[in-house]
Amino acid sequence: MSDILSFWGTYLPQILDGLGISLKVTGASLAIGIPAGLALALMVQAKSRFLRWFCLAVVEIGRGAPALILLQFAYFGLPNVGVSLTSFAAAVAALSWSTAAYTSEIIRAGLQAVPRGQIEASDALGLSFADQLRFVLVPQGLRVAAPALLGFAVLMLQASSLAFTIALPELLSQAYIIGTTTFRYMPILCLAGLLYACICIPATLLVGWFERRLARHA
Amino acid sequence: MIAEIQAGPRVPEAAPNILEVRNLRKSFGVHEVLKNINFAMRKGEVVAVIGPSGSGKSTLLRCLNQLEPASGGEITIDGLTIRADHQLRRAELMGLRRKAGMVFQSFNLFPHLSVLRNISLPQERVLGRSRAEAEKRAHALLERVGLADKASQYPARCSGGQQQRIAIARALALDPQVMLFDEPTSALDPEVGLEVLAVMKELAEGGMTMVVVTHEMHFAETVSDRVLLMADGHILEEGPSAEVMRNPKSERAQRFLKAVMNR
Ligand SMILES: Nc1ncnc2c1ncn2[C@@H]1O[C@H](COP(=O)(O)OP(=O)(O)OP(=O)(O)O)[C@@H](O)[C@H]1O
Ligand SMILES: [Mg+2]
Repeated sequence: MSDILSFWGTYLPQILDGLGISLKVTGASLAIGIPAGLALALMVQAKSRFLRWFCLAVVEIGRGAPALILLQFAYFGLPNVGVSLTSFAAAVAALSWSTAAYTSEIIRAGLQAVPRGQIEASDALGLSFADQLRFVLVPQGLRVAAPALLGFAVLMLQASSLAFTIALPELLSQAYIIGTTTFRYMPILCLAGLLYACICIPATLLVGWFERRLARHA
Repeated sequence: MIAEIQAGPRVPEAAPNILEVRNLRKSFGVHEVLKNINFAMRKGEVVAVIGPSGSGKSTLLRCLNQLEPASGGEITIDGLTIRADHQLRRAELMGLRRKAGMVFQSFNLFPHLSVLRNISLPQERVLGRSRAEAEKRAHALLERVGLADKASQYPARCSGGQQQRIAIARALALDPQVMLFDEPTSALDPEVGLEVLAVMKELAEGGMTMVVVTHEMHFAETVSDRVLLMADGHILEEGPSAEVMRNPKSERAQRFLKAVMNR
């Protein structure tokens, strides 16, 4: 046991570096993907048929294709058309797409949950369409969507481990590298798993708390 | 009670028309809900719209500010005319809504904004008032509806009667020419409804032009100058409140009034 602890102690800094990268990739993907998801959720209701179809395609591909394929596409595929991305940029690009596609559905459901009376009231007050979105629909819709978005963020942190396949030195890659040099896969993978759990379990509890709170206010 | 008996019309005959509705029609699909509605209101008049459920009262009110686009006819509010057979321009629509304030049965306050913000935000966005100006006005209106202490609360923390008074303040803050009320007290307990009716009565006495769809026969009789009694998409009877409510001419109106007066 003390043997494992000292092994963990030796490699903790490297593992934490990996966790840092995992969090950065996840954070960046959410920061780009959620606003993009909001934009998609709003645009699928646009009048322009072209815009609607475009959004639908972006969403369906983003949800239909496994995140792993999107990652491979961004890292190995794009250079063929003259775009080469670092593994970090490729991971963010792919995971942002995934995030945008999934969260657009979550946010759309949130927007649809805003009672009709809210739209009527803002119409009757004479708010412009843009103001109605900005001050009434979007804030309320996002509030409804918040627990599901937070839940999705947890999944995204886990999905960031897929970037292991494009040589991004995130948490799982670091564990794997340490495993190959020390041949002690088991303990180091356990440590990596523990670190994921340390973030995901509290976040999941937070989601539950959030949901109960929202239910009480509805 | 003596004070409530008024000698002659409260609004001078010579007051100009602020609202005119000509040949207004509205259909939902094949279902014609409003059939050729005509009426006019002078500035400062209070008109109660009564009638059985489904007669088209709400639809009429919602056509007045184009929450429902009319299928035919014309509406003029304060010099701005909207014709159903003309493509409505955005500026006209906004102009119309600026002239008409609306109060809903279900209040429809913005739950994510404080009471103060509910009243100040529309002023800033619609009228371009500064934040300070809008909040000053909001405080003054809250005072007027007896809720000065609620400014920083959220709507969910207020009772139904309070929420409705806040909704009235929110509409008044935009300085409308006409106020439209759609059964403002129907969602409230009777005693709570009285607070709201008191605010509306004060508003009427202050000279606001008001169209009030209501099931409150006492309010219709004592506060409004005129009553429109609707049935099946028509205005069945129209006239001074006491006259319509005490001596309805048609058998249909007699039947309706008998039923609601006995409640
Ligand atoms: N959006 C709509 N689509 C289809 N039919 C509608 C719509 N709104 C109202 N109607 C119909 O129009 C008729 C008049 O409705 P309206 O709500 O104006 O009646 P009302 O006089 O306000 O009744 P109540 O006293 O119950 O509020 C009803 O038959 C109703 O079913
Ligand atoms: Mg109605």
